[in-house]
Amino acid sequence: MTKYRVSADIGGTFTDFVFEDETGATRIGKVPTTPQNPSRGVLDGLAAGPSSLGEIDFFVHGTTVGLNAFLERRGARTLLLMTAGISDSYTIARGHRTHLYQLQYRKPAQLVPRRDVYEIRERLAWDGSVIEPLNEADLQTVIEVVRAQGIPAIAICFLHAFTNQSHEQRAKAVLGEALPGVSISLSSDIAREWREYERASSVVMDAYVAPVVELYLKTLRSELSSAGMDKTIHVMRSSGGVMTDRIARDQPISTLLSGPVGGAIGCVQLAKDTGRQNLLGVDMGGTSFDLTLVVDGEPQLSTETALEGLPLLMSVVDIPTIGTGGGSIAWIEAGGLRVGPKSAGSQPGPACYGRGGTEPTVTDANLFLGRLATNSLLGGRMSLDATATAVAIAKLAGPLGMSNLELAEGILAISNAKMADAMRTITVEKGIDPRSFTLVAYGGAGPMNAAELAFELDIREILIPRFPGTFSAWGMLRSDIRSDFSVSFFTMADQVDPQAMLATCEALQAQGRELLEQEHVPADQMTFALSADLRYVGQEYTLSIPFGRASAIADILKAFHIAHERRFGHAQSQNPVEFVNLRLAAIGRLARARQGFAFTPQARSPQIGERDIVFVSQAMRAKVYNRALFTDQTRYLGPAVIEEESATTFVPPGYTFQLDDWGNILIQKEA
Amino acid sequence: MDARVIGASPITTEILRNAFASIAEDMNAALIRSAYSPLIYEGKDCAVALLDQDGEVLGQSLGVPLFLGNLSLCVQATAQMHGWDYFQEGDVVFLNDSYIAGTHLNDVTVIQPIFWRGQRVGFATSRAHWLDVGGKDTSLSIDSTEIYQEGMRWAPTKVYAGGEPRTEILDFLRRNSRFGATLIGDLHAQIAAGQTGEQRLRALLDRFGYDTVQAAKRDIFAQSERLEREAVAAIPNGRYTAEGCLDNDGAGVEPVPVKLSVLIDGDTISLDLEGSAAQTRGSVNCGFTQTISAARLAFKLLINPGRPVDGGTFHTLKVAAPPNSIFNAQEPAACAWYFSSLGLLIDLFLKAMAPALPDQVAAAHYGDSMVISFNGFDDRTNERFLVVEATTGGWGAWSSGDGQDSLINEVNGSFRDLPVEIFEHKYPARILKYGIRADSGGAGQYRGGNGTVRQYQLTNDANISLWFERSTTPAWGLSGGEAGQGPEVAIQPPDGREERLLKVNAKPLKAGTIITVATGGGGGYGPPSRRDPEAVRRDLLDRFVSPAIAKATYGVEVT
Repeated sequence: MTKYRVSADIGGTFTDFVFEDETGATRIGKVPTTPQNPSRGVLDGLAAGPSSLGEIDFFVHGTTVGLNAFLERRGARTLLLMTAGISDSYTIARGHRTHLYQLQYRKPAQLVPRRDVYEIRERLAWDGSVIEPLNEADLQTVIEVVRAQGIPAIAICFLHAFTNQSHEQRAKAVLGEALPGVSISLSSDIAREWREYERASSVVMDAYVAPVVELYLKTLRSELSSAGMDKTIHVMRSSGGVMTDRIARDQPISTLLSGPVGGAIGCVQLAKDTGRQNLLGVDMGGTSFDLTLVVDGEPQLSTETALEGLPLLMSVVDIPTIGTGGGSIAWIEAGGLRVGPKSAGSQPGPACYGRGGTEPTVTDANLFLGRLATNSLLGGRMSLDATATAVAIAKLAGPLGMSNLELAEGILAISNAKMADAMRTITVEKGIDPRSFTLVAYGGAGPMNAAELAFELDIREILIPRFPGTFSAWGMLRSDIRSDFSVSFFTMADQVDPQAMLATCEALQAQGRELLEQEHVPADQMTFALSADLRYVGQEYTLSIPFGRASAIADILKAFHIAHERRFGHAQSQNPVEFVNLRLAAIGRLARARQGFAFTPQARSPQIGERDIVFVSQAMRAKVYNRALFTDQTRYLGPAVIEEESATTFVPPGYTFQLDDWGNILIQKEA
Repeated sequence: MDARVIGASPITTEILRNAFASIAEDMNAALIRSAYSPLIYEGKDCAVALLDQDGEVLGQSLGVPLFLGNLSLCVQATAQMHGWDYFQEGDVVFLNDSYIAGTHLNDVTVIQPIFWRGQRVGFATSRAHWLDVGGKDTSLSIDSTEIYQEGMRWAPTKVYAGGEPRTEILDFLRRNSRFGATLIGDLHAQIAAGQTGEQRLRALLDRFGYDTVQAAKRDIFAQSERLEREAVAAIPNGRYTAEGCLDNDGAGVEPVPVKLSVLIDGDTISLDLEGSAAQTRGSVNCGFTQTISAARLAFKLLINPGRPVDGGTFHTLKVAAPPNSIFNAQEPAACAWYFSSLGLLIDLFLKAMAPALPDQVAAAHYGDSMVISFNGFDDRTNERFLVVEATTGGWGAWSSGDGQDSLINEVNGSFRDLPVEIFEHKYPARILKYGIRADSGGAGQYRGGNGTVRQYQLTNDANISLWFERSTTPAWGLSGGEAGQGPEVAIQPPDGREERLLKVNAKPLKAGTIITVATGGGGGYGPPSRRDPEAVRRDLLDRFVSPAIAKATYGVEVT
């Protein structure tokens, strides 16, 4: 019996699958997502795959169930309990404005209205000592409200709980006993870090999506097992690791951004495979454009993110979304041509989708210029309307006094330059020069626009991975079990007691080991990575510095100064430094096959035809290739179009391309 | 592909328009990335702009709205003093003179001319708030009466000439700041930002050529100007006026009047501040340059607020302020708290324009930064501490929405309040209460936002300074909406009588003292009688309005 490792990436429109057997041979699948009950789509996709459900040895998936519940505000009604006197810090949301010229500004809508925020009398001092004990009578009031109104979820955030969890834990015990079946989340479980508003916002998000995520995981498990799949279900974490569904039920917030993370982990694998340590990954779909950075072979992690203006303290792979991709609409303002930020989205979508869109988009321009064929999408299952595109383009070209061709090229030139501008700004913020990076393009529209983005950024090398349209699902199979723990460790660097620090690290490691044991990771596959959040006194934000258990404080400080120099352009080695948090990543390595691409002889030539395209205002003939038919590592010249089921790659004149040892298309600028 | 030529002009123009904005973003990222002071990299108290060879804006990015368009004016003022040939390749010029740059001395403007093939093609400019530039007090004095008390004052000065540092100047700067190393670090962060702008503008010129960039720039400016003229022409012609006052100037007790007259004539708009107070002994004065910036911010709030600023914007706007007034101050007027007058000017502009633009304006907001600062020795660490807190308050309602509760004031930009947990860790005081001040927003069909209450208890002896404004003219309502409540500050010593005051410099207080600051609410919009009873019930449930006010003002009873 063949054993398969299978991943599923449940997106807004499609659920993508990757099936990998013991030899590393890979197949992909794509089915429509079934939003009412996403497990239906998963079952459909598995049934259509090469394996029987009994042959699936490992299953991991990324889910947007929690995220969608949030975006559509379908989460559970949640009560928030905060320390008496300061509970409004949640509603005040730090008094911050995100728009500078907006008189009629509205703060982001909070998930819990003020009426559902309850004050509990209790108070800890800054050092965790008790000023006022927990008033359990106040909890009785909450119990009565929850019972009377049938409220399914409670979030608790007490002041200084990151230093002393006892009040939060006692409140959970009292409430849990009185209110079986009600989901209770503690801020100190989500993040043991200071800043009460950010912690409250995070714990509310956790409580809000908990019942929805739990129901989904329960349904998926029961449907899969009745179909014959009895292996553990793994879920992708926002941090780039995987976890079992049991852990996911306890930490629903960590599933929130699990969708796009697979692409980042896929890029890390490409770095390992190809030896190219610095990658700029672009995931370009119909309506979104996500950027991933791999620096020195490592993904970029943040300890904090935000959704619709609501902050979340959690470990997350940093994937900035920039621009709007293929759906961006071209329009006229004051006689000038603009592209975006308005997007046609997937409904009505670009004019060529034939769903009522009448304004020209980036996708329409690609179709008009022949980079995209009318049967290029979804392996020909979706046919594009070239007439609708031509009408939409003509509508705009006339008033601008341009030919249709000039306009179509202009739309692409503007949108590519704009995306490149945004990418450059992100690299400048991180102190990185994009010119030394290799561009990795995936998602349905990435490979089509990769060469021009690279040109704008002065990047000379591009990788198009195998199955670019399902790359995120492929990346999920490259991930390990991972769980992150943090504890506040607020101490001046010159006052750190090494014994106390070691004890804290050991306590973290014990937590990590316990979790990995629950995940059935054998001891010899466990690794633990420690890091410390440090900063110069006076700063608010920190840098995470990896260290070993045996590291001397002086070495950690030295690494901090170096990291600061790299990230901010200067270090102040004379200034006092403080520790803020200690972190531990508990990693359980998952066994998997990884071998080079098997070039198999094909009966046909890879060139399947020629097509008229327009590039730099010149009509030219481009050779059209079928990616599945390449049998060796021959180098080809652009202009060329490479077709495959999930994407179309465009190689301009002046560039060469060939397959590398792993089956990726490597595009290089001619010297 | 290297030899690629972008076809027609609308495309090149749009690519360059986006690129100019992006260069400014990159400059800003470079400044924030390399700044030494948290005021810049966390508080974003800075601004950058890429300018053309005449000092007109190509692209800008800012954290403080009040700096709008000001960098352009600083370059033009420098050229007026010394001629355009003063700017040579490799120069770095800085200035902070309040009477030239407009704001307080802590805001330092850095100008770097950009040359390409031997020709001056533009300027990379930035402004950042330096932590300390000398002066009698650390941080801003509440009670300064002459600019000489506020720090070093520099006219445009080359700190690099022809690429070479002028070490005497750098040394002087370092010696005259309480945080000299940070000052030099921040100066170099600004220079790094300028170099980013320089490299990218030169790369654009290499790719597109000088003539194409000039032509595209003219198109971009023309598009912006056309949109702005259309928007101003849509406002009914006429003279619109408003007046108000600051409580006092911080040194005296007399109110400080501000009088504004706005003339709309076709597609032009003129602001005249004739009748406003003569420059004061206290520090609510500013240079005329900054008055122009504040007028631009006020204008921008109503005219195409979503569009970027460039050399085509603000051509329709004229500003006049009498010499030796608070808006056109001359030596030796003190300027530390210049933004209180400008915040009022902006609110008055909105009030004046309300009859003409009823759907774009909002009623007044709580008005000022409402600053409390603490300093002293922390017994826990035996070290000196200083914390300066601005306080949020209520914003004004508008023709279709309630004002926001507890939001930072207009001129303050990217502020975030200090979390209670961080405050208590770092400073020897506790925060007993932090909450929304119910009933403080003005009543109306749409109600004003509520102000904020923050209550501190000292656990050490400390000195406190206060700058709370707008008690004489709390946030007014519009179209029949009522005014919000004004600010209040109460000081309760452990063994004495409660004291109420709004401004004070370095007042010594004992451990155990409780200080309660309450900021004002925003003004309401429309008569309260027209408020939807459902909205009142919602406010009752959320405790934004008390049952007593719900009944008395809106006639809604708790059921």
